Amino acid sequence: MKNKGWIWIFVITVALLFLAGPVGAKEAAVKDKIRIGQAISLSGPLAGAVAIAGGPIYELWVEEVNKNGGIYVKEYGKKLPVELIRYDDKSDIGTMTNLLEKLILEDKVDFVFPPWGTAWLFAAAPIANKYGYILIGGPGGALKLKELSLPYFFQVLNFSETQAPALADIFKGVGVKSVAVISRGDLHGIEYGNAMVPYFKKKGIDVKMNKSFPPGIKDLSPMLKEAKSLNVDAFVAAAYPDGGMLLTGQAMELGIDFNAFFISVLPFSPKLYRGTFGAQGVEGVMGGGAWNAKTSPGAKELVDKFVARFKEEPDYWGGLYYWSSLQHFQQAIEKAGTLNQKKIRDIMAKEKFNTALGPFWYDKDRYFVNHPGEIGQWQKGVFEVIDPGPKRTAPPEYPKPPWPKK
Amino acid sequence: MGSYMMVTILDVVISGLLLGGIYAVTAVGLSLQYGVARVLNIAHGEFIMLGAFITYSLYTRFGINPLICFAICGPLVFAVGFILYRTLFTRLRMSSPTPGAFEGNSMLACFGLLFIIQNVAILIWGADIKGYTYLAFPVDLWGARFAANRLVTLGFALAICLVFYLFLANTRLGKAIRAAAQDPDTAGLMGVRINQVLALCFGFGALMAGLGGALISISYKIQPTMGLEYTMIALIVIVLGGLGSIPGSFVGGLVLGLVGSIVTHIEPGLSLVAYYVIFMLLLLIKPTGILGK
Repeated sequence: MKNKGWIWIFVITVALLFLAGPVGAKEAAVKDKIRIGQAISLSGPLAGAVAIAGGPIYELWVEEVNKNGGIYVKEYGKKLPVELIRYDDKSDIGTMTNLLEKLILEDKVDFVFPPWGTAWLFAAAPIANKYGYILIGGPGGALKLKELSLPYFFQVLNFSETQAPALADIFKGVGVKSVAVISRGDLHGIEYGNAMVPYFKKKGIDVKMNKSFPPGIKDLSPMLKEAKSLNVDAFVAAAYPDGGMLLTGQAMELGIDFNAFFISVLPFSPKLYRGTFGAQGVEGVMGGGAWNAKTSPGAKELVDKFVARFKEEPDYWGGLYYWSSLQHFQQAIEKAGTLNQKKIRDIMAKEKFNTALGPFWYDKDRYFVNHPGEIGQWQKGVFEVIDPGPKRTAPPEYPKPPWPKK
Repeated sequence: MGSYMMVTILDVVISGLLLGGIYAVTAVGLSLQYGVARVLNIAHGEFIMLGAFITYSLYTRFGINPLICFAICGPLVFAVGFILYRTLFTRLRMSSPTPGAFEGNSMLACFGLLFIIQNVAILIWGADIKGYTYLAFPVDLWGARFAANRLVTLGFALAICLVFYLFLANTRLGKAIRAAAQDPDTAGLMGVRINQVLALCFGFGALMAGLGGALISISYKIQPTMGLEYTMIALIVIVLGGLGSIPGSFVGGLVLGLVGSIVTHIEPGLSLVAYYVIFMLLLLIKPTGILGK
């Protein structure tokens, strides 16, 4: 009997919570703000990645817009402040899609912001598109999305498509002869790790090892040792931050050095990567990215604002990309003079606006192309852009110095 | 060629033991909680996570040597476990009509604990990955190369298990715990203060988790959501070793580490799959586990 009592209390509490929800969310009769919904991972395995890459940029943008009184919308004849409504998807794709539909159908938000992660984005894009909501991609990007060609989806972040050729060019330029590639056994590994191999081969770089590892693996030292025994010049890992941290830690502990050391998703984070291993520890490590304060005056401004607000530097892969995409979005709304998705979408798809990274526009597939950089490398505490060409902020450091002795 | 072969074997075996040592410590804790206190503690990994984060904080904030942190985080996590059993689980045990019902109810309560502890940890430490470097230099053993911190971790893991085994085998309290494991009701009739002993068991289980977490933080990066993964491994290990058998969990941990290491050496993509294959094979062939009766 006692047990049943508790169950009833639980059921009633849950029911009350559900009833209370929509009351607070009811729309005011007079338009006094722009409400933007975002279902994103605030808990669960992805929450750590959200915190270091992307998550805070959206908060900072909302605060910046509101500091200036909001976004001017002609239809209402005034500036409307922005409110960000965030729900926690608990790092679960199914939960995210439910919450996204709830934001659109029940909460009737004006716009939606993207979830975090390639697979999450892949699931969210068709939903937003179905309801005619603009979805500007944030962290993540699958080549498969391009094939779907959804009219309301805009891809912002760069990916293996442009990073792999850049890395192959850099390797060729510094004289890398052979490489070992390891990839995380999921969509990231498939689209990133495997995508790189043909580019290396095209440049005459010998791929001596190509292996995949499961997410959650506890020991990557056998792969490091094998690559070392094959005597390769470069070690390339398509990995997420958890695997990348393990890999760097083990390479350092075992004193296994390569002339070039690249990890796709991790080195861009000054907080996690440089913060854990120290500027000396990460010296010479390459990673996907990339931009830094030297990229443009707007980039410098973003770094300063971010540091002032969060007491740490922003991520040097997507930070500037997302920030600029939001500036582009804001100008599209102002030009449209309305909150109508269709009209804003049409302007976004064809107009070029000036942003923190410089001119920002989307190509015919609605993919952002004017990337500030593809590959970064830690040099004396700065994540330098080392792409061949005008976007480079420093030449590559090669060979990478050995790991520091502790 | 012969010596190369030897080095490879040595490399694989010691790598396996390095991982297995950690598995053993955490599984011994869970075995104690499930085998004796009858709580299938799904939140076991959260205690591991707590131990890891306490060690991380003490080392990075106050510069306290992680190996000394054991003396601080062990008792702390023990106290949390002990108090939880005395309050939450004793009450559940009293109100459950049968031991079977208690197992079900306590497991549900543990699910709740999992979310509470994890979210409190996110509030305190944030959701992102954390880590520090300690004893991060290579050591050469007979031609194979290992990280110093992992070797120290293995040494401590073995020592912790040994001390705990001696405690169970040689002390009065140890005897009471073993009696309670066999038959709590009869042990109670024989004058064992059963609520006290079961709470101590749960506390010791949490203690082992805490120490395991401290060891993990030395060689791995940590985050508040890391717990469940270790709970799953500990579950596999206690089934592998034989439910309720402390030495079984110890052996099971080392075996699982070795299996993982051998498979990683051959095909890294299958290393985690191997754990579950072993688990299924064992359930089919010898459901009582390696040392189970």
